[in-house]
Amino acid sequence: MTLRKWLFVLALLTPGLGLIVAFIGVAVYIAIAQSFGLYNLSGESGFSLEFWVKMLDRKVFSRAIAYSVYIGVLSAFLSVLFAYPLAIWLRKPFPGSLTIGAMLKAPLLVHGLVAAFLFINVIAYHGVLNQLMQGLGIWDGPKRLQNDRNAIGVIVLQTWKNMPFALLLLTGAVQAISDDVLHAARDLGAGGFDRFRKVIAPLTVSAMQAALIIIFIGALADFSFQVIAGPTNRQSLAQLMVFYKSGGRWNDAAVVGVTLMGIAILGSVLLAALPRMTLRGRVA
Amino acid sequence: MGGISAHDLRMEFDGFAAVADVGFEVATGEFITLLGPSGCGKTTLLRMISGFLAPTAGTIHLAGEDVTRTPPEKRDTALCFQSYALFPHLTVRENLEFGLRQKRVPPADRETRLEAVVGALDLSPHLAKLPNQLSGGQQQRVALGRALVMRPSVILFDEPLSNLDARLRDQVRIEIRRIQRDFGLTAIYVTHDQAEALAMSDRVFVMKGGRIEQSDTPERLYGRPRTSFVADFIGNANVLEAEVRTVDGNGLVQLDTALGPLLAASTIPPQGSRIRVCWRPEDADLAATGPNLLSGRVTHRAFQGHFTDLHLETGATGCRIQTKQPGIQEGDTITFSLKPEQIVLLEAVA
Amino acid sequence: MMSAQRFNRILLVLLLSLTAIWLIVPFTMAVMWSLVDPSEPWTADRLVPPVISLHRWRDMWENSSLKTALVNSYLLAPSAALAALTLSMPTAFALGRIRFPGREAAKILALLPLIVPPFVTSIFFTSLLYQIGLHHWRFGAILFAHAIVFMPYSIRILTVSFEQVRADHVDAARDLGASTWARWKVAYLPALKPGIFASLLIVFIQSIEEFAIAFVVGSPDFTTIPTLLYGTLGQDFVRPNAAVLSLILVVPNVLLMLILERLLKSANPALNSGKG
Repeated sequence: MTLRKWLFVLALLTPGLGLIVAFIGVAVYIAIAQSFGLYNLSGESGFSLEFWVKMLDRKVFSRAIAYSVYIGVLSAFLSVLFAYPLAIWLRKPFPGSLTIGAMLKAPLLVHGLVAAFLFINVIAYHGVLNQLMQGLGIWDGPKRLQNDRNAIGVIVLQTWKNMPFALLLLTGAVQAISDDVLHAARDLGAGGFDRFRKVIAPLTVSAMQAALIIIFIGALADFSFQVIAGPTNRQSLAQLMVFYKSGGRWNDAAVVGVTLMGIAILGSVLLAALPRMTLRGRVA
Repeated sequence: MGGISAHDLRMEFDGFAAVADVGFEVATGEFITLLGPSGCGKTTLLRMISGFLAPTAGTIHLAGEDVTRTPPEKRDTALCFQSYALFPHLTVRENLEFGLRQKRVPPADRETRLEAVVGALDLSPHLAKLPNQLSGGQQQRVALGRALVMRPSVILFDEPLSNLDARLRDQVRIEIRRIQRDFGLTAIYVTHDQAEALAMSDRVFVMKGGRIEQSDTPERLYGRPRTSFVADFIGNANVLEAEVRTVDGNGLVQLDTALGPLLAASTIPPQGSRIRVCWRPEDADLAATGPNLLSGRVTHRAFQGHFTDLHLETGATGCRIQTKQPGIQEGDTITFSLKPEQIVLLEAVA
Repeated sequence: MMSAQRFNRILLVLLLSLTAIWLIVPFTMAVMWSLVDPSEPWTADRLVPPVISLHRWRDMWENSSLKTALVNSYLLAPSAALAALTLSMPTAFALGRIRFPGREAAKILALLPLIVPPFVTSIFFTSLLYQIGLHHWRFGAILFAHAIVFMPYSIRILTVSFEQVRADHVDAARDLGASTWARWKVAYLPALKPGIFASLLIVFIQSIEEFAIAFVVGSPDFTTIPTLLYGTLGQDFVRPNAAVLSLILVVPNVLLMLILERLLKSANPALNSGKG
């Protein structure tokens, strides 16, 4: 490559990739800098570990970490768990499979906030679910289901919204496996579960990892589902960050933001390694 | 080890019979080829034997055991796929071991079996490689080894050589036959290549429209086809319609054809008064004189190396002969004869 | 074979009814709530609202920031789509048609905005805006952020489109003496068209739906439909109003996605025939 060509390529990359790197890079840089007391909007700037030290002492911070990780991991695993059998089932077209596929993917078109509204509408104190359960005589009276303590509502919403995404990725991967390979496994004595464990799962592991990681990061950083349907006595990391920011406490918000990114990266690495490790033991 | 017996096998897809009332017996250690054009039902039949399709009606016995409703993973068959179907994420060794692990064969036993197959197929340099690092022929051998290592009572081949080039095809063909004999396996081999079928098989089942048209040794299939379909599908044949004049007690049949009167010697009586007959182009004898003396003008000549192909215009029709005699040119008129036993009586004309 | 078919049919019916319940029940509820007339509340003991009217729809239209939010969202989204398309074109060309060391790394780097949580991006982007004093022009700030955050989609789609432009078409155009512009029109544009539409639509939909940036950068006085809906669902939760907003937010999405689906489907045969 000549210098001229390099310059040409760089010039082409600048408005697109360059802007992305600069913009996201600056946002990340500011977050890190501010978490160490640098780059302050008002008052003095100077390197200090004080914000980290104070934050690590706060109970609300550690609880937010635990809570966000809980939501992120559970949402990612549940979405993939539901998507896998459906993807395998929809691998070969059959009458009605297109309709099914379209209906399963419908939540992709529904905005998260709308989904949240529809959901709380259904589980409301006087909502259809309560009425149905009472009508069937299972529950004596209406129950308070909204903002439940274990964040089941948030998990349901996350899974509802993200399962179609996992399905989309996994369907493509599962469809790429040839019939003959699956038939060969069967011919060599592999039953349904073994075929999944030894052939389908290892061959779709990249799609599975992509789904796990992307859903994990999204659910980890969840704000709106948490505010609308989550437990009122818990805060997610994003919620905590917005809280600090609206109070003008930029440095504290930065600490939470950097933590959020750190967990996102760490979690992604772990999620990427996990399927490979569990599968390797079984493949060899 | 064991043979196969099938009775009244039928497979329908949406009312269309892909295989219609097929029955056969295969002895232990026999090498059978299912031969036919695409859509004749040969692959469907293979899939029923391997268990991937449950027949609409009829039964299949493997080694004396009724397996009609047994799923493929529980059947003692091993299938070699046209696409090889190697597991792309597993090494050659893991591919070969897959079925043995599935069957929970003890490690020591597994190793012995693996070594035998690896040795026979010359796979030892490739054991640690992934399938995509192998050539087509090597992949084919791994697929073969993966099936062989199972020591199945029946080994099934679904056009396994169609993705190989001609030279390699010859080599693997010999290898397959050798190993099948060495391991004493019963084999069913699907192909649409008649040369392959003739070269490899103990018996060939020629299939057409979901039925077995004729099952015979390659020699008989070639020399004594029973229908014009078989005659045409296997090798080259001159097929023509004939009126049966007389039949005598010695099996000599007087025929009237577009080529003129012909005398045929047959062990079976003609199927009707108006039948089809055939003869092979290479049976035309340019030197001899005999009862069936025919002549024609050469309209096309194609030199093929070890013989020359000639298209003749004889009377109202045409025919094709092959000769080793050089020097015949287009436009020449030649005379040739056919022995009565070389004229084969086929089915009646409907 | 037969049993597998029956199994499929049973599963199909089961799943269809489940999904129907999953989709139809919530949406029916939303429609009914949006029609509740304020004169008489819809209490738990009634199956349908006692008095039905379009009052809520009219009310939301006249007496809330819905109109502004609609204008904002529907100005923002197409602008963001166009901006993202324009900015990503050169990068996609480089990634799709020029071989250079580090190309694969560049492709992955372009996905960066998808990996950094949106709230981190938006909060520290705001911080950046304060530093450079741009925080007064909210529309511009959000537009800029949307264009960048959703650029990974347009870069990815257009890179694939550029890869599919056939070199022999370009060469043929050149051989026939076409000018640079004519070459673009003849060789590139037909192959790029589906990608351009897809990229515009996806960024449009993403921008209409985007909440974090619009919320953090825009609050308190710049509303888009998602931030308005969030407000309606949060502090001042009035169920019928939220129902109206939800329906307004979801219908265009469905329509756009249907267009997108059609577009992607029609894109395939075009590419196949192009391969000849």
